[in-house]
Amino acid sequence: MLTRKEKILVLLSMFEVSNKKQETILELMEDVSPEKIFENQKVVELLSNEEYHKLVGFDELTLDRCIENMQKSGITILTVLSEDYPKSLVDLPDRPLILYAKGDLSLLGRKSVAVVGTRSPSNYGKIVTEKFVDKLARAGIVIVSGLCYGVDAIAHKKTLDVKGKTIAVVGSGFNNIYPSTNTNLANEIAENGLLLSEYYPSFVAKRYTFPRRNRIVAGLSDGVLITEAGIKSGTVHTKEFALEYGKDMFAVPGNIGSEKSELPNYLIKTAQAECVLDGDDILSYYGIDKVAKKQVVALNFDEKLIVDLLAEGDKNFDDLAEKSKIPVNILNSCLTTLEIRGLIRKLPAQTFALL
Amino acid sequence: MLSKVKSFGLNGIEGFLTEIETDIVGGVPHFEIVGLGDTAVKESKERVKSAIRNSGFDYPSKHYTINLAPADVKKEGPLYDLGIAVGILAATEQLATKTYKDFVFVGELSLDGSIKKVKGVLPILISARSMGYTKFVLPEENAEEAKFIAGMEIYSFSHLAAVVGFLNGEEETKSLPLEAKTFEEVAKENQNKLDFENVKGQAMAKRALEIAAAGGHNVLMIGPPGSGKSMLAKCFSGILPDLTFEEALEVTKIHSVAGELDLKQGIITNRPFRTPHHTATVVSLTGGGSHSKPGEVSLAHNGVLYLDEFPEYSRNMIETLRQPLEDGSITVARAMQTVTYPSSFTLIASMNPCPCGNYGAKDRECKCSPAQIHKYLSKISGPIMDRIDIHVEVDNIAYSDLHKDSKEESSASIKQRVDKARKVQLERFKNSKTFSNSKMTVPQTKKFCVLSNECQSLMEQAFSNLKLSARAHDRILKVARTIADLEGEEEILPQHLAEAISYRGLDRKYWSI
Repeated sequence: MLTRKEKILVLLSMFEVSNKKQETILELMEDVSPEKIFENQKVVELLSNEEYHKLVGFDELTLDRCIENMQKSGITILTVLSEDYPKSLVDLPDRPLILYAKGDLSLLGRKSVAVVGTRSPSNYGKIVTEKFVDKLARAGIVIVSGLCYGVDAIAHKKTLDVKGKTIAVVGSGFNNIYPSTNTNLANEIAENGLLLSEYYPSFVAKRYTFPRRNRIVAGLSDGVLITEAGIKSGTVHTKEFALEYGKDMFAVPGNIGSEKSELPNYLIKTAQAECVLDGDDILSYYGIDKVAKKQVVALNFDEKLIVDLLAEGDKNFDDLAEKSKIPVNILNSCLTTLEIRGLIRKLPAQTFALL
Repeated sequence: MLSKVKSFGLNGIEGFLTEIETDIVGGVPHFEIVGLGDTAVKESKERVKSAIRNSGFDYPSKHYTINLAPADVKKEGPLYDLGIAVGILAATEQLATKTYKDFVFVGELSLDGSIKKVKGVLPILISARSMGYTKFVLPEENAEEAKFIAGMEIYSFSHLAAVVGFLNGEEETKSLPLEAKTFEEVAKENQNKLDFENVKGQAMAKRALEIAAAGGHNVLMIGPPGSGKSMLAKCFSGILPDLTFEEALEVTKIHSVAGELDLKQGIITNRPFRTPHHTATVVSLTGGGSHSKPGEVSLAHNGVLYLDEFPEYSRNMIETLRQPLEDGSITVARAMQTVTYPSSFTLIASMNPCPCGNYGAKDRECKCSPAQIHKYLSKISGPIMDRIDIHVEVDNIAYSDLHKDSKEESSASIKQRVDKARKVQLERFKNSKTFSNSKMTVPQTKKFCVLSNECQSLMEQAFSNLKLSARAHDRILKVARTIADLEGEEEILPQHLAEAISYRGLDRKYWSI
């Protein structure tokens, strides 16, 4: 059951009252009882005319019903006043006063790493993200990200694939997941991980909500890993928050000259981030045991040849056919088998890469 | 005086007998054509009048009534001109004999009396033969088309006066000889000039097309602009099995009706390759319209329909492909009648991986937002994807590869394998209506695509690890069957299945992130 104060917070978030105003009202509620809060002169001055009329006109019965409905649909409401509220966020200067959650709340207390980056990663970025997430998630680290396209989505999907745990912080309400293509992914995360949002379920994502969301991503995690991001991308916000909050920063180096690796390269150069080359680097940083290496899979002659060729770098189909001299039909079936076994990954434009 | 002359009209791709009745009486000069003719038929009055006068015959100023029987069927086009002219000459007793009653007349007249080519001669002859009409008078330009129909007595002329001379027995005229060359010989002369030999690289795409040709599967090629998708598609008809004579006749019939026939060539010997542009209208694709005309899907009958930039086609157009892909024919309902055209073709569609075309490309950067890519890909609906068995990615070739002297396999040698695989299939589906693996029904798929335990587990792994969607299952089985046929294997082996799985790229969850 929510307390009166908490209900007022729900009401405020329902009408999109800004975080700062929420904080002030929460402070005022120390002295004024929640029933009379909207009669308080300071509150009247604080709120805009529109906000004020909406809030005052809202009756408690309806509010109760809304809360009940949310709870029925599996949403847990966490406020700064409740016990379940993540400890890592409590002391942040710009903490969200209310969090809507769906899924496994126990994940909030576990060791976690945020994996963030560009919305349109290169092949390198995709593979790197997958590799790191694979190691971290298998070792039991909770992967936090923002449920956007690109690196975010890969991080979540890979975690689910290896049966790891993941937390997605969305920049919209649960009923309007942005991007909508990730709605299914969001449902999967709600079932096997944790979905978080500081916005009321019907809230539609706006431009400013994504940087805001990033402060929660940074705040929740013990460390932040940037795999691939441009110097002007939204990931910069996550980085700033993480540095401000004193989180560990990890960055994966990329080619100099590659736009998409500018941010991690810059962070490494300026020593703002730890340069990591492998998931194990992060694990040993935290003193976590590495997971036993994947079993060595028996490969036939052709498959061995392909794996060796791919070890030199990504190759496309024609290259492989020419260098390996394997007939096209056999090559094709070998590649599929290798991919099914999880040894290689097919990338767009007939390119294959070793995992 | 009254005269009756036989002619033929066209309904869809079937000919029907039209009797031209001419009645001439005295009275106020008048000319009337009845029998549901369209404007071209109505206007034949002027052409016939001038043609008769300019050929040196009389055109008495009288009251003419022409009836085209049966009177309740719509008649289209100028092909009745010759029959009407002969009818008038007969009714005005300018013909010495009654031999005109034995012949069927088809042809358009020019004002000077010369006879011009008409559309649809081949289907008319084929229908006429089955109805027992074998003696024809045709325009000279259409002679090539008629050469392949045995059992006909065909006379071709280029002028009305010559026709009259022939009917009066003044000139000795021989009927057209049957084509001396066999169909196979003609086919060889006209062989497809495009050869896979000239396509460098693209090993995977070539292999996919080989499988498609062997099993009659539809293909979707995905690749950046300039990667050679169109080139590959054009070569594709060269590895399809040769047209049989019956198939060739059917194709020629459709093209003849549409007026798309190369009159010098006569019969069509190569599988047609049609590429309607994405701004084409739905009617031009399906056929129909006020003048019933076969559309692109029918012109591609027994051949290839190539749709470049597939997502650019309007949703409407793509959805109209569903009936032909399913039934092999398309039914066009019009106000007066319903026409069914055959339209059994292999669909080859091509598309870019994203709106700018560079998604995933190595040397160029894609500027599309993930949302744009998603929107672009979602233009192709599930039901259509269900009818395309093979998805294959085509990549840009490096400049250095273009100038390499590597020997590529020729179409002819690929075709040999395709032919062999087709033979296996014909044997397999001997007592059913199916001809190829792609058209297998659900019970047939169950019967002929049995998976061993090893294959079963491979399939299961593929579904869970590659996140294939459920609709891929049967498609994979059918393609695997074709691959096994190509290798001459009775059973589907794991490597066949694995290869088939690789052709379901768009079913993967990971396609766009």
